[in-house]
Amino acid sequence: MKKALALALLALLSSVANAEYRHVNMTVFGMDCAPCAHAIHVSMKGIKGVDMVNVDLNTGLVTISLVPGNTAGMHQFEEAVEKNGFTHKDATVIVRGKLAGTATAPVLEVVGTSDHYALTPSAQQPDLTALIGKLVEVNGLLPAAAKGKLPDLLRYKSITEAQ
Amino acid sequence: MACASALASPALAAGHGPVFGYATPVNSQGEFSFDTGLIGRHGSQGTALTESSQIGYGITPHITVTVVAPFTFGKASLPETRMAGGGEWSSSVAWRFQHSVTSIGRRIESTVSLGLVVPGPQQDSGILASLHRAPGVAATLASGLASRSQYLWFGGGYTRFVEADTDRRPDTLSWSAIYGYRPPGLRRDVNHWDYRGFAELTGEHTGRVRSNGVLLPDSGTTSLWLGPSILAILKDVAIEGGIQAPLYRDVSASSYRRESIRFAINFSYLKYSSHAY
Repeated sequence: MKKALALALLALLSSVANAEYRHVNMTVFGMDCAPCAHAIHVSMKGIKGVDMVNVDLNTGLVTISLVPGNTAGMHQFEEAVEKNGFTHKDATVIVRGKLAGTATAPVLEVVGTSDHYALTPSAQQPDLTALIGKLVEVNGLLPAAAKGKLPDLLRYKSITEAQ
Repeated sequence: MACASALASPALAAGHGPVFGYATPVNSQGEFSFDTGLIGRHGSQGTALTESSQIGYGITPHITVTVVAPFTFGKASLPETRMAGGGEWSSSVAWRFQHSVTSIGRRIESTVSLGLVVPGPQQDSGILASLHRAPGVAATLASGLASRSQYLWFGGGYTRFVEADTDRRPDTLSWSAIYGYRPPGLRRDVNHWDYRGFAELTGEHTGRVRSNGVLLPDSGTTSLWLGPSILAILKDVAIEGGIQAPLYRDVSASSYRRESIRFAINFSYLKYSSHAY
């Protein structure tokens, strides 16, 4: 009975929406060969919470899927690129976090990491008043930042309340 | 990026570059590279073989330390070389001091290395065999382009030995120009073998040998070599082979035997760091 309750509680907790990166698609410059891609693959897989990694040498796109409940931060993905001698550029992300700030100046806080971004729409600004203070899922673009720095801005294509 | 070729002894490519000449790649941070290879020099008196093992480690994304421990077989009485084997053990630090990542799959970079060269346990043959041996220093510089389709590297190196009991091995000045190409059909993903071919032009000038305080006449040499090499890589293992023939030889027959061909084969294993930050 206790075991069943524990399992039910675990299932309930795992279904609760988390603040986390779900998908990161990062463009990487400078990879010319298979070992380059393999090095990136190994480094990304070494980040706790990373589920799947795919590296396309011809497009320079590194596609990362993460497990629910992860606490991986954006700086980890960037450092995994930099330690292999390459340069990271723009990244598209699907990320969950708490929507803070105001409806006109919203900020996404990726709780569990130190990451937070000022949100700006890639198209027309929707009314975010009802989402302030809630857990949201954002699909957007993180522009390339200087080496060792995280982008301040996330240009979102969509923002919805996390289920 | 994975990957250490700009060494004091460039004969092993550590899985990323040409097998004879100089190139720019260095290991990733935390990456170990293990190489073992066979370099041969065939001449009129026989074949000199160098079995060379090398370990490299990437301290940072742009600095790699390397140790090379070769063993030699055969006595061919050939001139000093820093590009095609030899019995000296060496350790070096390579620093990729210029690194410009210009687009997807393309980068322009320059790497300098400085190394210590010490006599190995085996004697040379010919006029070099009678010399007292001492350590030396070696420096190299390579610069060039790496991309998905083409590679182009230019490099040079200089090795100078210390005098030992009025003897001194010859200074060696070496240079190389490398062109590499990967055909469109072979620009495949990480799960397939990655092939590329190189045309390797190398040259060496060795100074005169000092023996008993006297510079031996006709002991300086200059030679120019050209040949193809092929590199195949799958994830963390690489196999490479190449062969070179002489384009030009200014080598005195009274001091050395005639060298007619150079060849090399190299195996690499690259152990990448999965250290999570």
